[in-house]
Amino acid sequence: MTVLEYVWAGVLAVIAGPAAFEIFGLGVPITVLMVFGGFVIGIVGGATPGLAGPFLMAVSLPILLSIFGFTPDALLPVLGFLVGVMKGATVGGAVPAILFNTPGTPDAMLTTFDGYPMAQKGQAGKALRTAHFASVSGDTFSDLVLFTCAPFLAIAVEAYLGFGEKAALILLSLAFVAAVVGASPMKGMIAAFFGLFVAAIATGEDSHPRLTFETDFLANGVPLITAVLGVLILGEVLFAFEQMWRDRRIERLKKVQQEGDQRLTWAERKRLFPFISVSALIGTGIGALPGIGSTLAATLGYATGDRMHKGPVKFGDGTPEGIAATEAANSSVSGANLIPVLSLGIPGNVGAVFLILAAESIGGFNPGPSVFRFTTSEVNPELVIAFGLFTAMMLANIMNWIIGGRIMAACGVMSRIPKQVLLPIVLLLTLTAIYVQETDFNAFYFAFAFAVLGYLMRKLKVPTLPFVIAFILAGNLETSIRQAFAVSGGDPWFLFKSPLSILFLLIAVGVIIFFSRPKKPAANKAIAAERDR
Amino acid sequence: MLDRKTEIWVALICLVASLLTAILWVPFDSETPPIYDFRRQTYIGDAMLPMVAALGIAVCALVHLLLSWRRQVTEADGPFDKLTAAFFLSLFAIIIAAFVVMYWAGPIALALFGPSGDEAVTYRQMRSTVPWKYVGFVSGGFILVFGITSLLEGAMHWKRALSSILAIVVLIVIFDVPFDTILLPPNGDF
Repeated sequence: MTVLEYVWAGVLAVIAGPAAFEIFGLGVPITVLMVFGGFVIGIVGGATPGLAGPFLMAVSLPILLSIFGFTPDALLPVLGFLVGVMKGATVGGAVPAILFNTPGTPDAMLTTFDGYPMAQKGQAGKALRTAHFASVSGDTFSDLVLFTCAPFLAIAVEAYLGFGEKAALILLSLAFVAAVVGASPMKGMIAAFFGLFVAAIATGEDSHPRLTFETDFLANGVPLITAVLGVLILGEVLFAFEQMWRDRRIERLKKVQQEGDQRLTWAERKRLFPFISVSALIGTGIGALPGIGSTLAATLGYATGDRMHKGPVKFGDGTPEGIAATEAANSSVSGANLIPVLSLGIPGNVGAVFLILAAESIGGFNPGPSVFRFTTSEVNPELVIAFGLFTAMMLANIMNWIIGGRIMAACGVMSRIPKQVLLPIVLLLTLTAIYVQETDFNAFYFAFAFAVLGYLMRKLKVPTLPFVIAFILAGNLETSIRQAFAVSGGDPWFLFKSPLSILFLLIAVGVIIFFSRPKKPAANKAIAAERDR
Repeated sequence: MLDRKTEIWVALICLVASLLTAILWVPFDSETPPIYDFRRQTYIGDAMLPMVAALGIAVCALVHLLLSWRRQVTEADGPFDKLTAAFFLSLFAIIIAAFVVMYWAGPIALALFGPSGDEAVTYRQMRSTVPWKYVGFVSGGFILVFGITSLLEGAMHWKRALSSILAIVVLIVIFDVPFDTILLPPNGDF
């Protein structure tokens, strides 16, 4: 098949796939329905402080696997739903940020700087429209960059990198994530090595499973989704419980009368283009690097927009350019985040973690360089799935353009749910989702063990993302190293044989040393908050 | 970053635990060593990954220990205090109670109120039938949600009891009603 035939096959896999039901004799493809469902749930969840895109993806994954099973037909509906959630949550987080000065998702914190003052002046409608316009523009731009860059990068990696270089690249990615996330690269490295260690339990090539203390409890290893949900979601929930218990603050939400023209005219949109464009570039560049989150992108986008801005109302006093600068940046991270996922198989953020988990659980699609093999003599099904995924992302963008703003406007009520009511329900929901997947009460013990681990890591300011990414990549890393070692004929210096692998390893060491230097006090609290998360 | 004393303790604990792991646990609980020869070929064994991981933790912990030692002493509270212990004792008491009730409420309810005598049935036979399949999930889930909400608010309100029940009903509608193959907790264990 030619390139265009593969693209068309991917498009058809989505829009002409199995139908969920029929309306007037016209089948509604299940993948399209799942993208829509995920998108709506993503906006609603993103608009609810305490829920975020990764949490919704985490909880829905076991349910989706139970519904669709583990056949290749399940791939596009499941991935489509997760992608819809990712995009919906990206735009939904701005709603409570603007209406109630409470970011729905962490990366919407800077949207409060100008969004809430605009709402206070009676311009909440305009602020929401600005946030939606900037968000969907940035998201669409970064998706287009993903569609063009990921295949080329994957082909280059597959063509030029052998086992040793691939192993070195994984080590570089782990080192990069460990170094940039959190305030201490050493703690990040400890978290990453710990993730490798936990992943080693009961895995390996020997008949006797390693590191199990000869117990049945550990003999099947650590359940992947349970461990990730435990550390990322339940750990965060325990942390939030403690904070709420200590604070016991109840917030009263004030209503402000809306006044003036709430529409966003074309002239106003034209004025926002420079800010959206620059922020989209910043967000896409940052998103392509694993480990650096949308909050930092939003911060840099906001700071850059502030320097560009010459309008009468300053950034921070309620100007649409402030909203546009931050929302375009944080939204354009989501598409670019998938560049390392699809081209290298390396999850760079929490959302990508769940996409990879879904693909690994179902099977038939291994995100990485091998996906983009444009074989002409026989069909590469993984490539069809990849283009199907791109189609699903574009569909979600189209839905966002057409109806995203309206759904956003209706979601303000979600912010009124008190966190002390919502989070215990979140806990039960997560435990139920884990049970649905594992069907074993022992899974609860694993979940809570990892919840306590996630809590301790947050309290001790040890970043959790390097742990999770290392946990997921451990299998690939060990396989690459074993293969590289075998191919080298048992050479102990196999990792240092090729100039590329030496370069990757040197960059890894350089990154750790660079980020270990004593830092100047951050002028911007947001940058400090991102580092210390 | 945390205060100097806490960072030093974190580094020390990681250093000691990882060294003990690398020297004792990994070699004794892996079938093959890090590198071994078999039929004149050299292979990487199962002990390699965990040993490298443990030694990696040890090295990073040592560097972190040295960096933290050089920091200036500051007056700051550690991350844990008596309130932490008090809170988690209460929280885990609620969670344990919820799990115990969730697991046993169904079988106990069936034994007390279910068919008896010649028509006696086991919980396994009834685990997919209404109302027995919901007894454990509803009662344990209610204790979990309402208990934790009350703990966080410091008081019990009937509105929170209602919202807890409503949330559980919604979860049943999402997870159980549409699907025949999904089992709510704890039914999969019987």
